[in-house]
Amino acid sequence: MKFSYNWIQELVDGLEASPADLMRLITIKTAECEGVEAAGAHFAQVVAARVLEAEPVPGSHNRKAVVDAGALGRRTVVCGAPNCRPGIITAYVPPGVSLEGRETGRRVVAGVESDGMLAGGAELGINRDHEGILEFDAEPGAPLPRILPDHVIEVDNKSLTHRPDLWGHHGMAREVAAITGKRLIEPANLGRIPREPAAVQVSIEDLQLCPRYSALVFENVTVQPSPLWLQYRLEAVGLNPINNIVDVTNYVMAELAQPMHAFDADKLAGDTIFVRNAREGERITALNDETYHLSPAALVIADANGPIAIAGVIGGLDSAIGDSTARLVLESANFHAANIRRASSRLKLRTDASMRFEKSQDPVNTVRGLARAVELLELVSPGIRLVGGLADLAAPARTPAPITLPMDWLIRKLGRPIGSAEVRSILESLMFGVTETGPGVFSVSVPTWRATKDISIKDDLVEEIGRMVGYATITPTAPVVPTEPPPDNPRRRFHRAARQTASAQGYHEVYNYSFLSEEDARRFGLAPADHVTVANPISVDQALLRRTLIPGIWKNIRENGRHFDQFRLFEVGMEIHKRESGLPDEIPHLIAAIYERTKETGPLYEVKRLAECLMPGCELRPDTARMFEHPSRTANVLWRGHTVGRLFEFHPDFVEGRAVVLDVDLAQMEALAPVGKRYQPVRRFPESAFDLSVLAARRALAGDLQKQLASFAGRFLESISYLRQYEGAPLPEDAKSVSFRLTVAAPDRTLSSEEVGAIRDAIIEGMRGLGYEMRV
Amino acid sequence: MLESQLQNLAASARERILAAPGPEQLEAVRVEVLGRKGALAEISKGMGKLAAEDRARIGKLLNTAKNDLEAALEERQKRFAGEALRARLDAEWIDVTLPAPGPRPGTLHPLTQIQQELEDLFTSMGVAVLDGPEVESEYNNFDALNIPPDHPARDMQDTFWLGDGLCLRTHTSPVQVRGMAKLGPPLRMIAPGRVFRNEEVDASHEHTFYQLEGMMVDRNVSIAHMLYFMKTLLSHIFGREVTVRLRPGYFPFVEPGFELDIQCLICGGPGCAVCKQSGWVELLPCGLVHPNVLRQGGIDPEEWGGFAFGLGLTRLVMMRYGIDDIRHLQDGDLRFLRQF
Repeated sequence: MKFSYNWIQELVDGLEASPADLMRLITIKTAECEGVEAAGAHFAQVVAARVLEAEPVPGSHNRKAVVDAGALGRRTVVCGAPNCRPGIITAYVPPGVSLEGRETGRRVVAGVESDGMLAGGAELGINRDHEGILEFDAEPGAPLPRILPDHVIEVDNKSLTHRPDLWGHHGMAREVAAITGKRLIEPANLGRIPREPAAVQVSIEDLQLCPRYSALVFENVTVQPSPLWLQYRLEAVGLNPINNIVDVTNYVMAELAQPMHAFDADKLAGDTIFVRNAREGERITALNDETYHLSPAALVIADANGPIAIAGVIGGLDSAIGDSTARLVLESANFHAANIRRASSRLKLRTDASMRFEKSQDPVNTVRGLARAVELLELVSPGIRLVGGLADLAAPARTPAPITLPMDWLIRKLGRPIGSAEVRSILESLMFGVTETGPGVFSVSVPTWRATKDISIKDDLVEEIGRMVGYATITPTAPVVPTEPPPDNPRRRFHRAARQTASAQGYHEVYNYSFLSEEDARRFGLAPADHVTVANPISVDQALLRRTLIPGIWKNIRENGRHFDQFRLFEVGMEIHKRESGLPDEIPHLIAAIYERTKETGPLYEVKRLAECLMPGCELRPDTARMFEHPSRTANVLWRGHTVGRLFEFHPDFVEGRAVVLDVDLAQMEALAPVGKRYQPVRRFPESAFDLSVLAARRALAGDLQKQLASFAGRFLESISYLRQYEGAPLPEDAKSVSFRLTVAAPDRTLSSEEVGAIRDAIIEGMRGLGYEMRV
Repeated sequence: MLESQLQNLAASARERILAAPGPEQLEAVRVEVLGRKGALAEISKGMGKLAAEDRARIGKLLNTAKNDLEAALEERQKRFAGEALRARLDAEWIDVTLPAPGPRPGTLHPLTQIQQELEDLFTSMGVAVLDGPEVESEYNNFDALNIPPDHPARDMQDTFWLGDGLCLRTHTSPVQVRGMAKLGPPLRMIAPGRVFRNEEVDASHEHTFYQLEGMMVDRNVSIAHMLYFMKTLLSHIFGREVTVRLRPGYFPFVEPGFELDIQCLICGGPGCAVCKQSGWVELLPCGLVHPNVLRQGGIDPEEWGGFAFGLGLTRLVMMRYGIDDIRHLQDGDLRFLRQF
């Protein structure tokens, strides 16, 4: 929202603060300002000038004009505007003045030296007219009438969300008056509205959706451009000047935050304005030339024939003010905020009106807006006359109960002392009604423009008093809290340890998005329908929520593979799994990968090492490969009897070079992780070790052999570990010899060599019983 | 006669010991002279034939010669061993400038690092660290935080909708309600995590970023307490004393609501490019918890009060490391990640 400094200054009597100071004060006390910019600085130098001569310049469309610029004397300028003709008063811009970022100079145009220039509305920032130079009435040499250099303060709309009153200059002026202790000027004079029967009837179907509808009828209307000062005002705050009537409605909106609409009365059917829900199948062509099909949820303004406006959003084209308009109906209404918001988002049409109504405007404001409009219309449309008095239909006014504000409570919330007198004076400066109902207790009534949504409880008053007294006056104070350790979060601790382990093993942590494309889902054999889907994705390739981290790490591998021959990556993130109803399951996973460009044996065992570091004693069991996995290098990861994840090499169709991935479920791991440790006495008697080699099929699993050996070793087996394996001569083809070292011991004595020999024999016999040849 | 024979033998053996070029020759001398069947042993055998008075004298001489030779031998052996060791060690020269084998340690993502740092800081201040889901109900994400449907404040957070009343959480604030229900008053909690906004991505905007929610609920919580807490926290984060200021900010789940600014750490106040000449840098939104939100958490606002804040972790990481493009954080590029 843009605020004109001059406009605020007009409404605050004796405002002295500079634009920059004002911006700072508003930021500290009221709402976030994004910046302040000088606007129309050139108006200090631009003057009115009478065109004395205008001769065509041969061979160009330009004219050589001589103007009388009053005290600046006679100047010769080159002007291309078609309306440049002797007799008119226009705007003369002397050399050296900056317009639209360009400096006006003495330059030669079409062979003629131009001493400055004549300017049009758009060039001067008064309106958007590029057609010709300005024409107005003033003494040559005088400044442009009622047009002064200004500053525009831009306030962040988000910080005005709760303040319907600040969507107009008068609301901001009220804040400024309270902050600076100056007097606020009321621009609307309710006495301008005659007490006569109305010339138009109003019918409201649902007073909840339209709590108030006020209107006036005017005749003898002249439609023409607004005076330049009014156009300039609108232009400065970003509103487009259209014609005097529409400009007045916009002016009132920008001043009082009350959106208004003017209908051409002669284009309306019947003498009643209906405020009702749209009927099935109704449509309307709006002022923006778009045709809207209206749903019955939308509120419309209608005449006897049908909709003439979408309530609170936009007017209809058919009843719009045009050059021929002679009579008009001026609407100033109040609509239900949420309903307007729904309508505007359904139509994808946000207008200056809808933006204001959705903030919950004050119903009291409708008549005020009309009163202000009466005065302005008389100014811009000479001879205009009111027909009859005010049409005004409203729901019974709701007066919210006053808020009880105990001083001790207020002081506790602020955390600083404050006296009753100061509290009263702050609230009264913001036009709250304050009465002391008991010792240290105020009863505070809220002004109507703050009562619609903004302020209803005593906590809201803490803000009013806090910001006005100044948050800088509050001294930071340590809270008194119990000294006790906070509740533990074992999950976070576990994830942190897993991350630590992975990074210590050389893996770099990546963060990938939670989104996935349908294409990627299919690429990894997943049906898009099995995913939680985003209804309004930024783009189609971000329409699904990931239920596996594999596509993300796959993308990381491919992209980093362009820069590095080998690397290690990991990610800890949520898999999101769809459920029948309610929140989806979010399962934390750790995914880690090693990439090596060379096609040698590959990094599978290196990745397995990470699995073993994370889960001591885990095992791999070969499993059927999914389409993206290497068919003979894919395994489930088992820990403590449960499958907790997967370890696989990417299929060469997916990754050039070798990439091995570990993908484990952190929630399951956490649940399986051993808790607590207990000391075991250190063995006092020596242990004995011996090696055994098993001759087995080439694809026999060493892990199986080891388990089988162990199963025959009896209760004295301390440990068994793989030593080496061998293939080749003199072994038969398709065979390998796998060697293990077994360690045996008793807790209470040294095993004799006979006992050790017996254990060894039992194992050999057992293995032979299973059909293995033992190499001893 | 025997005496001179012994003397000659000892003298020549000593010479040979001292002259032996290597351990093998030395060993040969030892075997020949001092061995079980060596020359001294031979002499010793002949002792029986000697007269008693000679036997004692020669015996003594024999012992002396043996001890001397053994000492000489040992000294010579030590020297050879020393030389051999030196030679071996010399041969064991390695090029210490070659790189160590095996992987270098990896790195934790900068967001992980800052998050862990803050978790530790808060934990040390007695604050619980809580989790919340990335997919939230619309109710928890908005309604429970005093943002009913059709409230214009919903515009402040462009939302990814998932259907069935679900959305990707737009802020970590829903954990406030979860935390109140879980811990009950009084409580102090933070909840760091991933949040989502439906925004086009460019150098300074992301649809996925990280926040840290903080909340304290107790009997008498004031703006002064909040200020103290924030100031302490931020001084730790930035590693130096910071000056903060509050100004009004609108967030429906707090009342009053604030934007907290810190005095620009670059210029210290007079104004510079970083703070856009204002001397202040907007850092985080905060406020006293709205009574409606306390009620949603099952807490009586007449009895309890609280403050809450939302710290942008992504922004903090960018400030700390001088990262100028937010997209680096989630594009998985090792050239970026390995710097941390």
